[in-house]
Amino acid sequence: MRRSFNRSFRPVCRLAGPVLAAAILLAGCAGTPKTAEDADDPYAPNDPIENVNRQIFEFNLALDRYVLKPTAQAYRWALPEFARNGVRNFLYNLSSPLILANDALQANGERAGTTFARFWINSILGFGGVQDVATGLGIQYHDEDYGQTLAVWGVPEGPYLMLPVFGPSNPRDTAGLGATFVSDPFTLGMNAAGLDYIPYIRSVTSAVDTRSRNIELFDQIERTSLDYYATVRSLYRQRRAAEIRNDDAAAAGAGAPAPALTPTPATPQRSP
Amino acid sequence: MPMQIRRLFLALGFAAAVVTAALPTGAGAVPSNPESLINDLGSKTISLLQQKQLAEADREKQFRSLLHEGFDMGQMSRFVLGPYWRTASDQQRQEFVKLFEDYIVTAYSGRFSQYSGEQFKVVGSRQEGDGALVNSQILRANGGPPIKVDWRVGKEGADFKIDDVVVEGVSLLVTQRQEFASVIQRNGGQLDALLKLMREKTQR
Repeated sequence: MRRSFNRSFRPVCRLAGPVLAAAILLAGCAGTPKTAEDADDPYAPNDPIENVNRQIFEFNLALDRYVLKPTAQAYRWALPEFARNGVRNFLYNLSSPLILANDALQANGERAGTTFARFWINSILGFGGVQDVATGLGIQYHDEDYGQTLAVWGVPEGPYLMLPVFGPSNPRDTAGLGATFVSDPFTLGMNAAGLDYIPYIRSVTSAVDTRSRNIELFDQIERTSLDYYATVRSLYRQRRAAEIRNDDAAAAGAGAPAPALTPTPATPQRSP
Repeated sequence: MPMQIRRLFLALGFAAAVVTAALPTGAGAVPSNPESLINDLGSKTISLLQQKQLAEADREKQFRSLLHEGFDMGQMSRFVLGPYWRTASDQQRQEFVKLFEDYIVTAYSGRFSQYSGEQFKVVGSRQEGDGALVNSQILRANGGPPIKVDWRVGKEGADFKIDDVVVEGVSLLVTQRQEFASVIQRNGGQLDALLKLMREKTQR
């Protein structure tokens, strides 16, 4: 078991270099501003391949409309809420090693400790992660990924990218996604044990569960948007910037830093 | 004799309270008014949401009056249009401010209709220039982490008004600004195209 784990680890290390280099190169290309306004406007979208992205977005919308959303609705209808929460808790717990690795890579000892504690508490007391005991004890969940780690290391996000199936992204986060595929311990373990299909089941279940929690919200946003693509782009980038700042509930309360889109232009000032 | 002393204490206490409320707070301390503005709006919104049997039109009307009461729609409109405000005619600006309000009511009052026992709580604030950044949380009834909502409050004359709402790091104004800019740019930089689209979306 150990030998096969080591064997699958070496290709990971070999991939890390080129993946990182690609991310940094791509992220650096901000693209030329489309209009004179873009050059001055700090809120300009940085979306040089917008036409291509829009087409991929249409493809993703169709995929969602005909495959993902109906599946998510069926999932919601078939399983009671506590069962769906169990699924989510279990999936979150499975991600703990990756979250822990990224906490460590960002030199965040406190968050690493939290992730570590959650993993053991929920795995042992929470029946393998199905029950989220840790939150009840006040140890909140937080998410981390390689994309956020690259950001903390100083890699800029780069131009907006709409990935087929995976949705809104950018070169840095795409590199992070790639790194996740090749280094997730659960995935590696399953592959080593010959159960290659299990990681796919996990990804699909995760997508369906997440989708099922946002059905009305996405419907509402789509219905009332003037430009759904642009709205999604804006929401994604702001959320991503907030995640990277670790702008979670634990850091909230009086004294939380003023939220803003990075880079931070002056927040709306009152004209005199 | 004791009765008079008690009344005296009461009067003094009352006077102290009034004077404290009217005093400008010391430098660095957070003015209490922005927090009470948010608190006030929050509880009014919750009671609006709790009236489940309210007709759509009535809910929108009440939502609109809450908007007027608490938000600086003029300032928000100006920010949202960004560089296009400068080049817009007076008539376009007027129409945009009106349409922007209609759009907010249409787009956001519907999102509140899924209210199910959430609680609203102001958790603190920090002074920012003349105004403040007020932090609050929405606590969900079925557990799960609370939703962070921050309110950027500024001074308008003698009043405090909301300039922006930030939910989990996502700013209402930034989102709308970027969406509207996209519509204008995809229509050859024509503000009228945006106004037309907004008119269509907000008409029933």
